[in-house]
Amino acid sequence: MLLIPVTSLFASSHREAPLIANDPLADNTDLYAFRSPDDPNTITIIANYVPLQIPQAGPNYYSFGQGIRYEIHVDNDASVSGDEITYRFTFNRTNQDGTTFFNIRLGQQNLKTTYTMEKSTDGGVTFTTILSNGVVPPPNIGDRSIDTPGIGLGTPYETLFTNAISTASTGEEVFCGPVDDPFFVDLGGIFDLGDSPRQSGTPKDGLSHLNVHSIAIKVPIEDLQKDGNPVSMAANILDGNYVIGVWASASRQTTQVIDANGAGFTNSGPWVQVSRLGMPLTNEAVIPIGQKDFWNSITPYQEIAETTLDENFYNPELGLYMDDALFGPAVPAFAPLRIQRNSLAQIFGGFDFGNTNDGLWPLKGTPAVAGTALDDAIFGTLLLPAAGKPRSVDLWPIFHTGVPNLAPYQLATGKTGGNPLTNGKPFINNFLPNGGDMLRLNMAVPVTPRNDPNFSSLGLVQAAVLGLTDPTYNSSASLQFIPNMDGFPNGRRLEDDVTRIELQAVSGIVLAAIGLWYDDYDTAGSPVTPDLLSVYGYSTGIVSNDTLFRAGFPYVQVPWRGDDNRLGSEISYTQPNILPASNLGVAEYGKEYFGVKAFPNPMVNQTTIEFELKEASQVNVQLYTLKGELVYETGMKNFSSSGTQSVKIDGERLPNGLIMAKISVNNSAGKNVRLIKLIKQ
Amino acid sequence: MNKKLILFLAAFSVGNSVFASSHREAPLIANDPLADNTDLYAFRSPDNPNTVTIIANYIPTEFKEGGPNYASFGENIRYEIHIDNDASVSGDEITYRFTFNKVNEDPTTFFNIRLGQQNLKTSYTMEKSTDGGLTFTTIVSNGIVPPPNIGDRSIENPTVGLGTTYDQLISNAIATASTGETVFCGPADDPFFVDLGGIFDLGDAPRQNNNNKVHDGLAKFNTHSIAIQVPIEDLQKDGLAVSSASDILDGDFVIGVWASSSRQTTRTLNGNGTESYSGSWVQVSRLGMPLTNEAVIPIGQKDYWNSLTPYQEISETTLDENFYNPELALYMDDDAFGGAVPAMAGLRIQKNSLGGFDFTNNADGLFALKGTAAVAGTALDDAIFGTLLLPGAGKPRSVDLWPIFHTGVPNLAPYHLATGKPVGNPLANGKPFINNFLPNGGDMLRLNMAVPPTPRTDPAFSSLGLVQAAVLGLTDPTYNSSATLQFIPNMDGFPNGRRLEDDVTRIEMQAVGGVVLAAIGLWYDDYNTTTSPTPVTNMLVNVLNYSTGVEENDIAFKTSFPYVQNPWVGKQ
Repeated sequence: MLLIPVTSLFASSHREAPLIANDPLADNTDLYAFRSPDDPNTITIIANYVPLQIPQAGPNYYSFGQGIRYEIHVDNDASVSGDEITYRFTFNRTNQDGTTFFNIRLGQQNLKTTYTMEKSTDGGVTFTTILSNGVVPPPNIGDRSIDTPGIGLGTPYETLFTNAISTASTGEEVFCGPVDDPFFVDLGGIFDLGDSPRQSGTPKDGLSHLNVHSIAIKVPIEDLQKDGNPVSMAANILDGNYVIGVWASASRQTTQVIDANGAGFTNSGPWVQVSRLGMPLTNEAVIPIGQKDFWNSITPYQEIAETTLDENFYNPELGLYMDDALFGPAVPAFAPLRIQRNSLAQIFGGFDFGNTNDGLWPLKGTPAVAGTALDDAIFGTLLLPAAGKPRSVDLWPIFHTGVPNLAPYQLATGKTGGNPLTNGKPFINNFLPNGGDMLRLNMAVPVTPRNDPNFSSLGLVQAAVLGLTDPTYNSSASLQFIPNMDGFPNGRRLEDDVTRIELQAVSGIVLAAIGLWYDDYDTAGSPVTPDLLSVYGYSTGIVSNDTLFRAGFPYVQVPWRGDDNRLGSEISYTQPNILPASNLGVAEYGKEYFGVKAFPNPMVNQTTIEFELKEASQVNVQLYTLKGELVYETGMKNFSSSGTQSVKIDGERLPNGLIMAKISVNNSAGKNVRLIKLIKQ
Repeated sequence: MNKKLILFLAAFSVGNSVFASSHREAPLIANDPLADNTDLYAFRSPDNPNTVTIIANYIPTEFKEGGPNYASFGENIRYEIHIDNDASVSGDEITYRFTFNKVNEDPTTFFNIRLGQQNLKTSYTMEKSTDGGLTFTTIVSNGIVPPPNIGDRSIENPTVGLGTTYDQLISNAIATASTGETVFCGPADDPFFVDLGGIFDLGDAPRQNNNNKVHDGLAKFNTHSIAIQVPIEDLQKDGLAVSSASDILDGDFVIGVWASSSRQTTRTLNGNGTESYSGSWVQVSRLGMPLTNEAVIPIGQKDYWNSLTPYQEISETTLDENFYNPELALYMDDDAFGGAVPAMAGLRIQKNSLGGFDFTNNADGLFALKGTAAVAGTALDDAIFGTLLLPGAGKPRSVDLWPIFHTGVPNLAPYHLATGKPVGNPLANGKPFINNFLPNGGDMLRLNMAVPPTPRTDPAFSSLGLVQAAVLGLTDPTYNSSATLQFIPNMDGFPNGRRLEDDVTRIEMQAVGGVVLAAIGLWYDDYNTTTSPTPVTNMLVNVLNYSTGVEENDIAFKTSFPYVQNPWVGKQ
């Protein structure tokens, strides 16, 4: 089995490679796979596309693209090459009213998007349609376009959203549509040469208040398990037969020709993958710019025979910034993150995991590794391929094969003689050595309830910490469910702070968890040393999404609304009063006018007329039809103070259409009259 | 001359425009951000008035923290600025072409800038054609595009970053072409301002029932500018300096400016993460007047609009109706959808101007005057411009919105201010205020370079542009006491060219609301020629008062070239 070592790092995959950054519709930004917390016999997979959508991006709001194959790939059997299940989504857009520049008007929608979902169970050779004419909700433009009946769609967005959840003919629940981007990261800080957490100023979630497009599916575990078994048949919570590898992609046809009149495209030729995603941040912060476009073009299966990407994982660029002998001092934000340079010096004479050092290579072929995952007799040269590749034992398997339930990949809890190569407490088994970069999930691991006090965005790192330090879990080496064993990198939950976890991983926290302690460990003391606490305590400062996730499928939140007051820069502006026409003879317009407004307007059953008074006044509100017929009158009312006052108008019996409201005010300054228009619907 | 014009104009398409510039304005180009032309400006340089500055912006809503691959000009795209200065010659007199190249100085990092090295480092070639685009001569090679303004570590830090200041990087990037133009290509603060979220929610601008808050939806976004500053004599058709202009509205000093981007017809994905381009070049985006394709052209025609040149619009007829009877006008007419768009309640088009002219959609406007003695000798006389301005019944806006966007406006009645006209006769001669007539194609930004610049520090400077000049010419005793040609502040403003400060959304909404008709004496319905004390009636005041509330950019402009402000810092 030839596998390519690859390991990954930090800020998911938005605009991560030069070419795909210019093709936003096909840009795969994030991938999630987790046991559904409210429906634990199922797995939810969410693949996100189209990065950095500003919610107010009218008149042509973002959507899935036509001429693109969006795919979710599932591998569940290392003995068979390629996908066992492939889901393909293709989209179609139509204009219901080509005569307007608005996206939604009078209940009609332009660029209205529907989808076809297909499924292949023969490695992508043949596909069967399992959902036709699936509904993609419209962009969440604003209350006029969405909620207002008549001019807009007249439906709350929540209803549009939940109505778009479908069931495929093969039983999967499906949602395709715009959502809040669930990822969170200080983009501005981290890409300014790793300034995260920012050394001056406060961290900022660069993805807050931005939308993305999700393809979400919820699939029964027995439909994903290679033998069709439900989770109840798992031998234990780390049963290796329940591991799936998930990845997503987008493909286009090779040839795109702009039509002669420039008003469209014609696509032809074979389909070529232009974007893919498995583990978060691989192509964003591990693969250097010269190889990013290439990385996007290959499949995880092709990585088995591909060798040029390996070095980025054996000796990751980020490792340079966590090593005082290299560029560590140049990145002060990473000061808490220091890789083991001399681990277990007292027992083994020291292991060095700094870039280009040997890591555990000196143990190659020795009795110490016999029977462990590092034994050539078991996995060949997979984990110890050569000298000078220190991270072949931790970062590489996490990102390229998953991690087997075998020493040394067990918690230090229960290990003997300070020897990481002995058996300890199991905590992960997502080993599926059938290709490169995928999100690997052991579906047998139970779900940590999201409201459990132990639930943590640190995922498996937190499970390891509990397994090492909490008396409930560290008193025996037997397999137990430890909260957050269902977290990244065992799959990926929406809440998992993958940026933090991956930076900690580059800094060697997984090595520490299995007993390769930090340099400041003295066998006489606790292995939970200041160096370990420093890495564990590291955070970018952005630790959660900017809005709560939904408790039920599709879990991602409804998209931010285009007219949301949190978007853009707020400006105070009071619209001048609309003056009545000069010669209609209804009102003289004084210099000392007062502001009037009505809401809602248009009205259905009731409206409120609000006005500013400079002093105590008497006010009468009269409503006239355009023919001058008086249809409503409040009578003269006393208001004893200045400021904002209002009267409610019961409009149930008013005629539909345009109504003039005449507001007469009497006070010590004299008489003043204002007219405003009301619409009764 | 007149006969020639008639030939030229007989088949003209009529166009008129409206509201929030041109960001992601058509379905196809919204998916090709690098080629998406967002805004175009052309104005006499306030600090260097013998020159004109033209700024063409590309790549909409660039996210300032958009790492690791920050937005930049695209390779394999021809970015062009086109200049027409002579209606007797078809096509461009001057074409500037910009092409870009990117290199990685250190392909081993995922950071954009590290240890003084920059990836996706962009440089450009500038070419110039003076034969309508047949042949090009290189006038700048290896022009510098400043890097993205990532943050202090990447830019200023002398060890890990570039060790300079962003101001220095910008000024180093300003070049002089071999033919004398000053040039800048690079990231900049997006100078446009608009309440995107409000206006595209069915016209909710200014936002109603929102506690008196509106939002600049483009605040703190970047774009990429191509800016050139060109001596007026190099743009004027006969090579004349502005000092040779016969007056400040000399018709020989009118230029039409438009911008575009083109790609080759065929893109091939090579399957290994590279792509190739081949075939002829096809225009995929263009821009002249702001907001034409964003808020006038309906969605079914937007992609097609982007594919045409202004010159092709001369023989193109399917787009006309959008300008004769603009969609936005439906929302300013109580008999159409006016009641459904409360934010625009102050904008009501003349239905009964001077006791008889109706400019609402599908009404006849001034068509009743066609061929009558009343229009003899005016721009509406068939003997002068043919059927250009009164092409038929049921096309009410053929006399105002259409020429503003498709030919410019001549210095001829009725296109004079009402100042000096007899009461109730808009067809008489009045006070001149505009002449940017250049009937040589469709949608362009037309600028009369002879009009002096209004200093940006002048208390009379106004983002209302020519609308404010008209208001002053009608109401200010300094200007309204005679019908003679005078410089009125803001005559150099939109739609006579476009300054960075001009609030084109507001001006175009007011224009659809009929404010230009009112300026030339086609007053609003509440004006009675015998009983009204003033034509500045409440309905006119309502239109002048109309604003979206977003009236200026979120940061001050620079006082000198390239005028657009530095891009926002990614880490800000």
